[in-house]
Amino acid sequence: MNALILQQLTLTFRTAKGESRRQRTIAEDHAMTGNHPGFGVVMKRITYEPGVARMTSQGGDLTVGGYLAARDPPDDLIHLLGEGKFGHKTHSARVSRHGPEGPPLSTGCDSINGMNPQKVRNRYDAVIVGAGAAGLSTALGLYRALESNRSESSLSPKVLVVSKLQPLRSHTGSAEGGIAASLGNQEKDDWHWHYYDTIKGSDWLADQDAVRILAEQAPGIVIELEHDGVAFSRTEDGHIAQRKFGGHTADYGGHPVRRAAYAADRIGHQILHALWQQCLHLGVEFAEEWYVTDLVVDPPADEESGGQARGLIVLDTHAGKLQAIQADNIVLCTGGAGRLFHTTSNSWDLTGDGMALALQAGLQLEDVEFIQFHPTGLGHTGILLSEASRAEGGVLRNSQGRAFMQDYAPGHGDLAARDVVSRSIMAEIDAGRGVADPSDPDGPHDCVWLDMTGIDGQRMTALLPQVTETIHRYAQLDPTVDMVPVKPTAHYTMGGIPITDRGRVYRWQDGRRRVVDGLFAAGECSCVSVHGANRLGGNSLLDACLFGTRTGQTIAAAMPKADEPNDMTDTSPLAPALQRRQAFMDVLLAGASKAEPTEPALADNQGEEPDTGDDASLNNPYALMGRLGRLMEEAVAVRCDQSSIERGLRGLDHLDADARQLHAHSDTAVLNQEVTAIMEVDNLLTLARAVLNASLRRQESRGALYRSDYPQRDDEHYLAHTMIDANENVSWQPVHIVDMPPKGRNY
Amino acid sequence: MTSQSTESDGSKASGSDRDPRPVTFRIARFTPRPQSERPARTNPFSKSNPFATTGSRRARGRRWTQEYTIRIAPQRTVLDALLQIKREVDPTLNFRYSCGHGMCGSDAVLINGRPDLLCTATIADCLSASKTMPNAYASPGVVNGTPQVQQSPAFRRTGTATPKTAIPPSASHPDSVSDSTASDFSATDPVGTAGPAELSEATGLIDATHLTKTSNIAESSAVEIRPLPGFTPLRDLIVDTDAMFEQIRRFKPYLLHNDSSADGNQSAQAKAVDTKPSSEYRQTPEELARYELLSTCIACGLCQGACPIYAGGEAFAGPAAMIAAARFINDSRDSHRQERLEAIDQVDGIQACQSIRACTRPCPRGIDVGEEMWKLVEAVKE
Repeated sequence: MNALILQQLTLTFRTAKGESRRQRTIAEDHAMTGNHPGFGVVMKRITYEPGVARMTSQGGDLTVGGYLAARDPPDDLIHLLGEGKFGHKTHSARVSRHGPEGPPLSTGCDSINGMNPQKVRNRYDAVIVGAGAAGLSTALGLYRALESNRSESSLSPKVLVVSKLQPLRSHTGSAEGGIAASLGNQEKDDWHWHYYDTIKGSDWLADQDAVRILAEQAPGIVIELEHDGVAFSRTEDGHIAQRKFGGHTADYGGHPVRRAAYAADRIGHQILHALWQQCLHLGVEFAEEWYVTDLVVDPPADEESGGQARGLIVLDTHAGKLQAIQADNIVLCTGGAGRLFHTTSNSWDLTGDGMALALQAGLQLEDVEFIQFHPTGLGHTGILLSEASRAEGGVLRNSQGRAFMQDYAPGHGDLAARDVVSRSIMAEIDAGRGVADPSDPDGPHDCVWLDMTGIDGQRMTALLPQVTETIHRYAQLDPTVDMVPVKPTAHYTMGGIPITDRGRVYRWQDGRRRVVDGLFAAGECSCVSVHGANRLGGNSLLDACLFGTRTGQTIAAAMPKADEPNDMTDTSPLAPALQRRQAFMDVLLAGASKAEPTEPALADNQGEEPDTGDDASLNNPYALMGRLGRLMEEAVAVRCDQSSIERGLRGLDHLDADARQLHAHSDTAVLNQEVTAIMEVDNLLTLARAVLNASLRRQESRGALYRSDYPQRDDEHYLAHTMIDANENVSWQPVHIVDMPPKGRNY
Repeated sequence: MTSQSTESDGSKASGSDRDPRPVTFRIARFTPRPQSERPARTNPFSKSNPFATTGSRRARGRRWTQEYTIRIAPQRTVLDALLQIKREVDPTLNFRYSCGHGMCGSDAVLINGRPDLLCTATIADCLSASKTMPNAYASPGVVNGTPQVQQSPAFRRTGTATPKTAIPPSASHPDSVSDSTASDFSATDPVGTAGPAELSEATGLIDATHLTKTSNIAESSAVEIRPLPGFTPLRDLIVDTDAMFEQIRRFKPYLLHNDSSADGNQSAQAKAVDTKPSSEYRQTPEELARYELLSTCIACGLCQGACPIYAGGEAFAGPAAMIAAARFINDSRDSHRQERLEAIDQVDGIQACQSIRACTRPCPRGIDVGEEMWKLVEAVKE
């Protein structure tokens, strides 16, 4: 083993085709160690032997060329160089010495790229916003498609995934039940049946060509997920296990069929982790805890086009700095908007950012009035109690102890469709037969009881472990003896950014789809319209993974054909947006220094009742979010009518005015969550207005939307998608009816 | 009728915990100084001298402990309380949170000296735990009532069984005022972090009543919250988790099946073009059972925070990275078991584990981390 002095080691980064992108001698380019990426301290010694470069440091990170090479190397050992077979396939890096000649070694890019790019470029071939199932699937679809065409292409595309959370924190991880696919592993199934069930579940508002793709390609996606590492539950003979789910039937509405592939009760967790892991394998570049503040789209240049996406303004929350990123392709995968409502199963981060970005960029949203409420959210928390709790024998009861579902859905009872059960619960509450959440006995009587006391204790532990644990932990109740308070909880936004079945965002104008060049979307924030007016269980993960993958493939297919990439960064179209957002941030932060409470001064509060007075809540984005949630709940949760919606719109005017007064209370931009929250509130308010107006305009009841003043479905006027923009202009796009003419939807 | 009986049942069980009452939260705060002098995160001295140290890499800024007293029912979670503080008292308090029910792994912190998730720890638990908390777990600064003198660090720095009472090199470090558990970090700093000015600033910010009150923590209904140890605090309770994810990543935490890895091109092509799926890799329920629990890890970092050896990953890649490796070592579909075992058989890999098993208790997914580590030790020996 030779001992080398640091200056003698040179790292050369190469692209797949061998073009030298970067060649740096470590000593020139600050090999650095320290406790934080990019923090430079001491690099003592590097030794070298075939296969491994070793270096001595005082602990900390080695960064090379601005990229993290290894973190916190142990006292004398860094595996700077990975074995070739683990190597990254698109890039590789070589190590050579300036001193005595040694064999060059190749390394996996894995160890070179950090979790966060040390310096995000200004221009990317593709930027994916969001790192849940849809975002990660898009990234994988893109990388894999590029790999398979690599021989034809000499490009080494720059792709970045920007997400406001570390990817593993994405809400995909909370999905419990399963992913639907007609694998037929446990009994005969047919994708045509899945196709039919999804159309029927959608109350015939889904576009049938898209649903056809969904059902037909579902088995392939599930097997791909399995190959990616998802720990599916298994049948005795080693196949993926499947379970029954509401609305999954054989023979076009016949007996229930096992179609939901599952991994105990944590399919979302498994899928999220497997996708992330494969992204690590392929060396996908992430910018974590970056928040996209603006989407810049050029208006249509002519009669044909729908405009051109230019780029994004992003806030690096760690640095507290804004940056413009120019991108040829932008994919929005930001998830749903459950935080429009006070009671929701969604995480705190689902604030409809992508949908609001689209609205603010002058684009439309499709079918946003359709929001699925899961009937059994746990009391005030909104945490989901799986449908399995009723499938295993749980019964819903009102304040008089009556099992009321038999009155609303004779024959189906507690296992009627989600929207039916949710509406029945609300009807009981509206009739004064609701109960208060025991954790807030003086609060409103806006829950009903879920009675699981009839389920044998052992059976409950065996079959409903997650449900039982949730009830214990978050309601401090024992479901074997206690009644559990439940209320409908906002669960899924069926509508969203309108996309083609290739993931392209379009404008609906003059009776046709005008594609916005360079803009894509996937997952819950998008609407390819496979869910229509009501989503079927198991189809959300499928939608995200399938259409995410297709979107990635679409982008990859277009890349080699694109003109020579223009490496000249031209962010001029983004400059005005960046300036506007910077000015906005400056005002927010300047408000803090002027504003009364410096942080320590706030400590004076101790011992006193918290000040819930107007001043405190008016100037607090978190309080404002709570007010919005209650407003939306009164206006459109589960059921609505013209007057409730109009009341909501008037209330929204007040909230808008209050939101304009918001400013930060700390002037430190670094990791200032209040600044992000203020922008999230803006997004929620933008989206709330669209939801209310779309609900107002659709004068019928369909799927998840129940207008008590128009209780019937009206195919004559409303067998069409609502296309609404930020100016409240609504147009109607006819539903794609391919194989199945609309008929009644009875369960 | 039913509702009445249920309510009375409920109140028997934990009725007192349902009533809101004043609860004090004592939270370690940290505001980093604006980083104008840190463009592009490079070392300005590197050109002239590659060995130059630019001083501490611990972010500078203001550290203090802040108390909030709010009315809240003890049965609520600590996350509920912090959100209430954000909403009603102080929107500048920063902490990570997302799903709110223990699935996303965002909100690992140190509560009354124990690594825990904000959203799964109830206030009642914390209050009762603080009464029985051994001194070693309580935060040194608070136990002594004096911020500058530390007793024993919250976690031992080495894996030896002897309790280490020696004051670490950085014990008198000003930053340890409210950040005692991170002292292991500063021990590696060749240069002190903050000057005397900062010291006085920091201590000056601590409320005088706080110091007198804290000596009887058991009696007062206080919940003390600090950033997770072993991680660099970035702001308030938000810590840098990049190190943990890098360590996880180092052991190639992704399924490598011979088919897919040997000929990536072809399989990718097949995936891209083929709509007719091949079939899944077969795996029996028994084979699944060997790694299923391991695969439920949410990478929250609690085990790393509890591990006395981890301390930032200098000497040890950490239990979370080992669990991630074990998940694939035990997956019958993975064809690189041997390479994986070799990869973890390093001085800072599984060899560093001293089987202290502090990692087991906090795991929110119920993984017996300590036992799994032991199994790895044995597997590597074979």
